[in-house]
Amino acid sequence: MTDTILRLMEPHAAPARRGIGVRLLAFIVLFSSFVTLVLTAIELYIDFRVDVNTIEERLNEIERGYLDSLGSSLWNVDLQQIRLQLDGILRLPDMRAAEVRETVPGIAAPIVISAGAPSPYAALVRERAIKVSVRGGERTIGVFRVEASLEGVYQRLINKTAIILVSQGVKTFIVSLFILFIVHRLVTRVLVDIAARLDAYEHQGRPGPLRIPVPPGHHADELGRVVKALNASFDGLHSANRQLVEMNAELERDIAARLRAEQEVVRLNAGLEQRVRQRTAELEAANGELDSFVYSVSHDLRAPVRRIEGFTRLLDEDPNSALSEKSRHYLTRIRAGAGEMGEMIESFLKLSRSTRADLAIATVDLSALAAQTFANLREREPERAVTAEIQPGLTVQGDPRLLDIVVGNLIGNAWKYSRNVPDAVIAFGAQESFGRTVYAVRDNGAGFAAELADRLFVPFVRLHRPEEFEGSGIGLATVRRILARHGGRIWAESDTGRGATFFFTLWEPRGTDETPHDPAGRG
Amino acid sequence: MRRHTILLVEDNADDAELTQTALARTRVDATLDIVTGGEDALDYLFGETSDGSMRPLPALVLLDLNLRGMSGLDVLNRIRARTATRRLPVVILTTSDNASDIAAGYDLGVNSYIRKPADLDTFTEVMHRLGLYWLHTNTPPPANG
Repeated sequence: MTDTILRLMEPHAAPARRGIGVRLLAFIVLFSSFVTLVLTAIELYIDFRVDVNTIEERLNEIERGYLDSLGSSLWNVDLQQIRLQLDGILRLPDMRAAEVRETVPGIAAPIVISAGAPSPYAALVRERAIKVSVRGGERTIGVFRVEASLEGVYQRLINKTAIILVSQGVKTFIVSLFILFIVHRLVTRVLVDIAARLDAYEHQGRPGPLRIPVPPGHHADELGRVVKALNASFDGLHSANRQLVEMNAELERDIAARLRAEQEVVRLNAGLEQRVRQRTAELEAANGELDSFVYSVSHDLRAPVRRIEGFTRLLDEDPNSALSEKSRHYLTRIRAGAGEMGEMIESFLKLSRSTRADLAIATVDLSALAAQTFANLREREPERAVTAEIQPGLTVQGDPRLLDIVVGNLIGNAWKYSRNVPDAVIAFGAQESFGRTVYAVRDNGAGFAAELADRLFVPFVRLHRPEEFEGSGIGLATVRRILARHGGRIWAESDTGRGATFFFTLWEPRGTDETPHDPAGRG
Repeated sequence: MRRHTILLVEDNADDAELTQTALARTRVDATLDIVTGGEDALDYLFGETSDGSMRPLPALVLLDLNLRGMSGLDVLNRIRARTATRRLPVVILTTSDNASDIAAGYDLGVNSYIRKPADLDTFTEVMHRLGLYWLHTNTPPPANG
């Protein structure tokens, strides 16, 4: 029984020391005690008033019943009778003491008869004058005093209070226990059960939604509604959670896939870079080999061409040979072919050298190179009257040998293609444009069709017939390759019969290309 | 004046003939001895004649680089290694203008490096100057130095 009560009072000892039951009990006891006390106090007060009134009434009755007979007894000095009467009074409830005292003036020893002992407690006292009728008039002969004790009243009140308090206390306790029991049966037990199920629910793994059965008998009440609402909310939570879990799994799969893809990309990139490096190295090696091959072939071709030239020359000059006119013509053609071939071989070698040799960078005076070129040309063809206009002091950083080829080629071309102009002018100068220096070689010679400008720099492409202007078709390709190695570009502007201008730059910043140019490998 | 001897080391008979012709067209008075390989050149310089006496050294050696077998640079190296020929004037006469050949030639102590011009007239001119310089202008090293 005690266990049950304790359990009822503290249904969930550990987590909730101040359970609903305990508080409910406390409130009920407190309130009930207060009400009981107030009601008891009122009731006791009323009882007290009734008791006091009863005593007063009794005192009145004593006064009415005894005062006259006591008066006559005193008048007759019947002390025995007075004593009997006083004893009779004392036998009445709550009466403690009674006294009759003679008050006739002039008597030395007035009669005083008393019974009982005065109460030390509060008491109701009644004093009345004892009067007798003598000769038609009233005369006071003594005093009657009676004293009623309230001790009994108080004793009854105390007893009653004790009874009420004890009975009310027991009643309150029993009722409280009952209410507690009912609350426990109806509410607390269900709440504890819900709490236990919530506590026991494992969020790990993939449990189904948390479901609390509606407690029997609660289908229609508030608890039932709470449980149903909880279940609905659990369903929602569960499906939301499941969605989250699925989304998480999906995200994890996505992330894993992305990681794999990134790793794959990195791996492929590394492989690609490796392959690019390898391929570049292979290409460079192949290019180098090709260059070496071209170089050695050209080189080896020199000797036989030289022999053809030498022996045809000897044949041509041999006074003993009896060559017909036609044979001499053939010989001339052979010698011309050999000469052309020799030139081409030299061009080949020059082109090959322009890419093979390491750059030996020094300060180069382009103006001086141009002047020297003009001097050489004039020495070779003194009959030509060409005006040369050279801007002085154009110095750059570059490989002197290769830049000599550039200047020699461009000015040589201008010289060559202005052959048929009576007052040929060739100008070499520079101007600033877009933050870099653009050098220009300008002539007023034959020029070329503007739409052919791009083809100029392709090896072996010639814009003029060999009969018009001789040449290997490799000079400008060599020039472009040399300029490319110097971080520069070359382009040309012209129109047929209106001269040509070749522009070139050196050491241009990367990424400023405005005109397309072929990769160095082709030129 | 003693007639000078020039040793030509050239493995191609046509080229040898052209060189000889070019030399003949100049007025340089010299005998051109021709050997066609590196080994023959060394035999010529260090070997003995049929009568057992040492052949006199030529005034000048014209050395081609592209020889079958022993290369021209090998021959040059051997010539410079021997005391007798340490100071012998040697001119490389070749069609090669390969920078590494030129550098190697000078490193091995060649006196001059001449590219054979393509046309006979220029070649004749070169041979003329070459003969004038090495046979008449230049003071040769003392014998047995």
